[in-house]
Amino acid sequence: MTPAAIIDAVVMIELHRVCKVYHVGPVSIPALSDVSFSLAKGEFAVLTGPSGAGKTTLLRLLYRDDVPSEGEVHVLGQDLRTLGGRRVAALRRSLGVVFQDAKLLPGRTVYENIAFVLRVTGTPRRQITARAFDALRAVGLSARAQAYPAQLSQGEAQRAALARAIVRKPALLLADEPTGNLDGDMAAEVLDVIKDVWQGGTTVLFATHQAPLAAELGRRTLTLLGGRLVKDEG
Amino acid sequence: MFGFLLGEALRDLRRAGRVAVSAVVLITLSLAALGGFWMLSANLGRAVSQWRDRVRIIVYLKRDPADVEGVLRRVREWPEVASAAFVGRAEALSSLKRVLGKDAGIVDQLAANPLQSSIEVRPSAAGATPEGARALIERLATLPETEEVSGGIEWVERLAQWQRLLAMVGLGVGSLLALAAILTVTTSTTLVLHARRHETEIMRLVGAPEVAIRLPLLLQGMIQGLLGALIAMGLLAAAYRAAAPWFAPLLERLVGLPEVAFLAAPAVVALIAAGAVLGALGGLLALRPAGHGGAR
Repeated sequence: MTPAAIIDAVVMIELHRVCKVYHVGPVSIPALSDVSFSLAKGEFAVLTGPSGAGKTTLLRLLYRDDVPSEGEVHVLGQDLRTLGGRRVAALRRSLGVVFQDAKLLPGRTVYENIAFVLRVTGTPRRQITARAFDALRAVGLSARAQAYPAQLSQGEAQRAALARAIVRKPALLLADEPTGNLDGDMAAEVLDVIKDVWQGGTTVLFATHQAPLAAELGRRTLTLLGGRLVKDEG
Repeated sequence: MFGFLLGEALRDLRRAGRVAVSAVVLITLSLAALGGFWMLSANLGRAVSQWRDRVRIIVYLKRDPADVEGVLRRVREWPEVASAAFVGRAEALSSLKRVLGKDAGIVDQLAANPLQSSIEVRPSAAGATPEGARALIERLATLPETEEVSGGIEWVERLAQWQRLLAMVGLGVGSLLALAAILTVTTSTTLVLHARRHETEIMRLVGAPEVAIRLPLLLQGMIQGLLGALIAMGLLAAAYRAAAPWFAPLLERLVGLPEVAFLAAPAVVALIAAGAVLGALGGLLALRPAGHGGAR
């Protein structure tokens, strides 16, 4: 997929009658049932629902970590059912993903964690430092660039993970409970960064089980319950 | 990007620690064994070809033939003969005196020359095999002028058999150790795979190309192999320097080889390349199960 094709994609996410069933031996566990929705370019949507509602499963389908049992998933104009290995990698280079667990590499500094992403995706060497520090400034962590993950607070670690997710200026940011482990102030800091990223033009799908947070954001809210999309409002 | 991936491979090697060291040691041992036997076998091979060139079959004649040139012409026409030369009785006596050296005076005490004239036959390549030489001897014996035929190349063939045996033993020992080395590299790469799982997860998540994910693992295997090969070559060269002066006189006495040669440059290059291939194979074996998963 060319960058031009991503820019041209008006609908960033489109799900049509998506079902996902996990099979554990003879037992079938439905995780998503008949989920359909779409997300336009530049939108900020909140995906909410209690733990086990299917939020993480849905996000995994969006970054092609898993495939649906039924239905269609289109992301950035790509039909994910037919995507081969190289095109999956190309798609992921246009996405940013953050998790509840920051997933920072423990043996590398904050700067190295971010530069690592640029290096393994083939960014020219001379651009790496500048781009990594741009991302660190965006999340307010440039002063902690040489710190190791173990030396960071949970909020700082999550902001570092966000810097890693946005350093390639993704078209779409998928956030899976990034504030789930954080107290009020830290969660607010992370949310502010995500809002800044959205205002910069990135489409955001933000998953959280915290209903008050979803309400406070005042954005379009998709509510999952028992694997079904029960509400799409805002 | 290659420089970065090479750096990652070196980082992985440090993570593998003692297992990587074991793999390097095993590769060193396997290539040193292979190289050592190769060197011995190559030297024996030189001795064999040298002796094959020197093989002569002597046809002792009943009496000096009237038409020496006619006999020689007939013999030279045979395909198993490279050359044939007549040695008269007087010439044979002179040769004997040369061989006896300071004891040559004994010959002068003889009442008459007891030696027979002969034809010295140098076999061609076809006649230098055990079967070819046997057939040539039988054919020479049928000449009406022949009194007796002496010579043969059995002992040269025995030397050649020893050379082949050495090469086979070297290959066998080297192969067994190489197999152990591959399995050790596989183990160290599997450990690295485990230690590297967070990096691999992030790399897949951000869309790193598959080659960027796998190359460091392959490279660390190759580095182990190259390191083992270079140490093996260093050890062999040191052993050669230390042992060649002791072995040279023995080999000269046993098989007439004036000097012991070290491995030829192409053999050294081949062994170093073999080290890299062994390491890469070990790395590939560890990566194989991950390959079934495809892009995640």
